[in-house]
Amino acid sequence: MLFEEMKQQDQLIIGDKSFTSRLFTGTGKFNDQQTMVDALKASKSELVTMALKRVDMADRDDDILAPLIKNGMNLLPNTSGARNAKEAVFAAELAREALQTNWVKLEIHPDPKYLLPDPIETLKAAEMLANKGFIVLPYVHADPVLCKHLESAGCAAVMPLGAPIGSNKGIKTAEFLDIIIEQATIPVVVDAGLGSPSHAALAMEMGADAVLVNTAIAVAGNPVAMSEAFAKAVQAGRQAYLAGLGGQSTQAVASSPLTAFLEASL
Amino acid sequence: MKIQVNEQALTLPNSMNIEQLLSHLEKPLIGSAVAVNMQVISRSEWTQYNINEGDNISLFQAIAGG
Repeated sequence: MLFEEMKQQDQLIIGDKSFTSRLFTGTGKFNDQQTMVDALKASKSELVTMALKRVDMADRDDDILAPLIKNGMNLLPNTSGARNAKEAVFAAELAREALQTNWVKLEIHPDPKYLLPDPIETLKAAEMLANKGFIVLPYVHADPVLCKHLESAGCAAVMPLGAPIGSNKGIKTAEFLDIIIEQATIPVVVDAGLGSPSHAALAMEMGADAVLVNTAIAVAGNPVAMSEAFAKAVQAGRQAYLAGLGGQSTQAVASSPLTAFLEASL
Repeated sequence: MKIQVNEQALTLPNSMNIEQLLSHLEKPLIGSAVAVNMQVISRSEWTQYNINEGDNISLFQAIAGG
């Protein structure tokens, strides 16, 4: 097959949906709603995350949903705020009613300082939610054994972290992501910690199926321009992966022929 | 009728279902989720599910998040 054809047919399938864009985005931390909508449009992202909160009776809430739905984005509600499996299942059931989707980004992080996911509660919740018919995308540490357990539990994808949420530190878990990607038979979406387009490109070059970016876009000086930069990086990284990267070597390998023709002419 | 909505005591002027309660509270139907006594009520049941005296209602709303 020609490479151009291969590129055109390169679609990501998760659960019952297929995606052309491999950049998933979050809706949090933007300064204002218009910037958020413009940035998400510029990212060409087809899957965007949302959260749920208990309504403050005194507040009037912004209608964040209408512009997202209008732009054809699929919504991925998260269970942020859940501290254990029981709370996460409750949050997922609420999110299903609020957003009319059975997709859920399962995240259980009891510790607010590092927001690291609880593997035991996440696995428990994943089993319960998959049994209830949810399309489950769990946010987890880059733990290859846990990712295989989540796969067996019926998750539609796994979302291992590169670094703590919002830290912008990049891919600190590369060695373990490599193992997860090698072993997975479901899509691997690298989530959390990707702070720059080069981090996203690296994840894609490593063979990740997609990345999820929120903070790095939302807090950028120009979120719309940054969003475009991430989109290009994800495309470049994916193309490099499909093209097949050259291997690494500890010694130099000459790019020009090292013949002795200069000596011969002296 | 006395109920609790998100930990606030509330007196309703008359009996109503969940959809009517959201309108009464001036809350949007889109993006909302409702639990009664910690049981999530499916959106399709909102017009049939009548609020009872002493019910503990939890209201949730979709917001921006990562």
